[in-house]
Order: sequence, then structure tokens, then C-alpha cells
Amino acid sequence: MADIVERRRNSAPWLAFLFTLVAIILNGLTFLTLRGTQVVLWLSFLAGLIAAVYGIVGIGRAFGRSRVFSGKVSSLIFGVLALLVCGLMVFIWYHARALPASAGAPQVGQKVPDFTLPDTQGRNVSLTQLLGHADPGGAAPKAVLLIFYRGYW
Amino acid sequence: MQKNLAEFEAAGVHPVAISVDSPEQSRSLAAKAKYTFPILSDQKAEVIRRYDLLHKAAGPEGSDISRPAEFLVDSSGVVRWVNFTEDIRIRARADQMLAAAREIPH
Repeated sequence: MADIVERRRNSAPWLAFLFTLVAIILNGLTFLTLRGTQVVLWLSFLAGLIAAVYGIVGIGRAFGRSRVFSGKVSSLIFGVLALLVCGLMVFIWYHARALPASAGAPQVGQKVPDFTLPDTQGRNVSLTQLLGHADPGGAAPKAVLLIFYRGYW
Repeated sequence: MQKNLAEFEAAGVHPVAISVDSPEQSRSLAAKAKYTFPILSDQKAEVIRRYDLLHKAAGPEGSDISRPAEFLVDSSGVVRWVNFTEDIRIRARADQMLAAAREIPH
């Protein structure tokens, strides 16, 4: 007796690819613009996880139930890609959040320590100078915004 | 940052950027990005350490750099608003800082 099974399309690899793209785009946007918000980051993380799950399901279907599902090649390509991107996202997630506690940093209401550092022309500039410094023709600043950043090395 | 500069100046806030980059590196960054506010170099991370912002071994070849942080300091040197991001992909929003700046009496 011939075992006739209707072959079904394996949509999981394609869904894995779709969610991989979403994850890459969301993550790329936050890096390029540095205007990431918590929500966008969580969404990108979620998309990466969904992509990985679909990737595994796709491979499982194509190889485990190959009589029913097609898509051996697509499931491998998109499945491995999804897992790689998801892994990369977990790696980035961990590193982007591995920041020091900075418990000893000046808090609201506290006075900041004064300092003197060279500017882009090598001239020494002190915080006291900056706080009392007026622009040519302008008023002395109400406040100075100190922006500490990672640098571009 | 530069985009918000006019708004900052209108609120009486002068931004100053600080990192471990050398003055030369900062100069080329300023030229490329057309930054007009002061950029200071703390190559030995002395000020960064004093402010407890040192991020050990996070820079190139395991060097120490600054974690991202922003302080709004009034003319008497007192912190009025502060932001320590918990994720380097998320930076402070200018509107939060400006709201704090507006509350500082002249």
C-alpha cells in the first residue's frame, strides 16, 4: 500500500528569515541613531528570539518530518542565520548593559569636583572657567551639561 | 547633540563633552560632525575616575574608558539632573534635561 502524504510547504524558515530581518533592522537603527528606547530594544530582542524558534522549527520539520515538509535547503540557510543573529543579539545585549555601577558618582544636590582638561586645541579648560564663562556677547550660562562619553578612540 | 545646541543655549545650558580621546581625535570628530561646543580630553581617565565613571577594559586593547553619563551642573557647581544609562544603546533625551534646566533660577 503506497503511503500517500500530501507535502506541505514549510513556512517556518521564511518566518525565521522575516523575524531575523526585523531584529537586525531594529537593532541597527538604535546603533546608528543612538536614539534607542527600551521598547525598541526589547522588540528587537523578542524578534531575534522568535526568529531562532522558527529557525529550529523549520529545520526540525524539514529533516525530522521530511515526508510531510519540504524546504531542507531554505530551513538550513534561514535557520542557521536566525540562530547566528539571535546569538549575536544576546552577546550585544550582555555587553551593552555590562556597565559599572558608578555608585560614587556625583548625585543630584551634590557639588561636582572641579577639573582642568585640555580642549581640542590643547588649551587647558577648567570647570570653574566653563561655569563662569560667557559667550562673546552672551550671558554667563545658567548651567553646564557635562557629557561623558565612551569616545571614538 | 549639535541639533539641540540652539535649544540648549536658549535655556542657558552650555554642553561640554569629555572622553578619553586625545585632543587630535576630538578635533577631527568635531570637524567631521561640525561640533561647536567644547570637547575635553581625559586621556589618563583621571577626571573620569574621580567621577566614578570608569568602565574598565571596555576600550580598545583592554584600555579603560568612560561609561556614558550626563550631569547638569548649575553655576554653583551643584548637580541638578543626572543620567546614567543602563544600556549604551540608550542615550539621554534632551527634553528631560531641558526640563531640569528650566527649573534652575537665574
